[in-house]
Amino acid sequence: MVLKLYGTPYAFGATAVVAMVLLEKHIPFEFVLVDLKTGAHKTREFRERHPFGNVPCIEDDGFIVYESRAIARYLADKYADQDHGPRLIPVPTKVQERAVFEQGASVENVNFFPSVLKVIQEKFEKPLHGETTDEVALAGYIAELSKVLSVYDDILSKQRFMGGDEFSLVDIFHVGTGPGLALGGIDVMISTGPNVARWWNDVISRPSWVKLQAEGIKSSV
Amino acid sequence: MVLKLYARKFVSGGTAIVALVLAEKQIPFELVEIDIQTNQNKTPEYLALHPFGQIPCIDDDGFVLYESRAICRYLCEKYPDQGAKELYPTGFKERALVEQAASVESANFIPYVSRIFRELLFKPLEGQETDQSSVDEALALLHKKLDAYEVILGKTKYLAGDVRVPSGTRYHSSCLSLELQEFTLADLFHLYAAPRLTDLGVDVWSERGPNVRRWWDDISTRPAWLKLRAEGVKGTTSTD
Repeated sequence: MVLKLYGTPYAFGATAVVAMVLLEKHIPFEFVLVDLKTGAHKTREFRERHPFGNVPCIEDDGFIVYESRAIARYLADKYADQDHGPRLIPVPTKVQERAVFEQGASVENVNFFPSVLKVIQEKFEKPLHGETTDEVALAGYIAELSKVLSVYDDILSKQRFMGGDEFSLVDIFHVGTGPGLALGGIDVMISTGPNVARWWNDVISRPSWVKLQAEGIKSSV
Repeated sequence: MVLKLYARKFVSGGTAIVALVLAEKQIPFELVEIDIQTNQNKTPEYLALHPFGQIPCIDDDGFVLYESRAICRYLCEKYPDQGAKELYPTGFKERALVEQAASVESANFIPYVSRIFRELLFKPLEGQETDQSSVDEALALLHKKLDAYEVILGKTKYLAGDVRVPSGTRYHSSCLSLELQEFTLADLFHLYAAPRLTDLGVDVWSERGPNVRRWWDDISTRPAWLKLRAEGVKGTTSTD
């Protein structure tokens, strides 16, 4: 039975992270739209799959996984063979490379994600709820994010990508939030330092991401 | 060369979970104390190890690693056969369930715990006033998330839950054998900060459901954890 991806259809957010992994790994999938505007993610039926009522989640021949970063790791570990595109995660026997990968994954989760989320909420989500962006607060959040990205610039002067020297899930974890900043005229992803700019351009010019931005998330079968 | 842990003796945050994994896996280590009160974590020497200037980090015979949750995973992968073996399983489905629950901790638990910490502990230390309404709001949101934990923990003993397929869907036979009933890293990560909330007089647990209370009592009374809380972080080498 083909894998099902439940989530939102845009090239934004956690569903997009999983969609990019599916495209990178050439994993066929059926996309099942969950319409957040109608509360489809909060129904009792949906919560049987995802007890927190969030998106995305997957159903892989009866096996359910939620949390985009866990889904990504599962897909990369399950489809580790050569027919499925780039590895995206070091082999389990390479313990030090796995550790550098997990270090980068934690940096995204603990240092980047909370900072970029504050910017996104202030700049984009408040207006969606009829509130006005507080420009002073926004400037503060952008400054905090820039501080994180200056450390990224230092890290990326020593390794090519955020999870090591190979493109990996750690880089993909950033596409749920990073690309949206440019839409609001916030250019920190390319203006903070040359190494971050080089890395970010590498990530968003991947054919899988270009396709998602152009077409949104659609079933591949 | 024995593993070096750059941290402090006080059992909290990333130091707490790394020290616990070292104890659970019986891994020898030397504690190199980093005094954050005197900004020892911001010296050029330390920043060369940890570019974000945080604690803990480790130096394992020349291999330097930071981010406590990455360190915990590394220690489990390097020493799979000693001490608590089931902390980080190797099968990709079992591993996926642990990663799912670990992601739940970082997305649905720690943000609210951290917010309460910031208000009650860090703001007063910085000379600012606690915003009690922010504490109350964070606690209310945390309790809502713990309602979902109550559902999960009604099906399994620990958080890396079993496979549950909506009614009407056929079970795949391989799924039925997956019954992770062991304490794993996903449970352990919850000891990052929440025990300190109890120290600060914040009642997270007493009015939660019976499954959450059972789980929290279980994980917060593990012998290795009780010993760590009682004695602080202590290296295992004879120089301590």
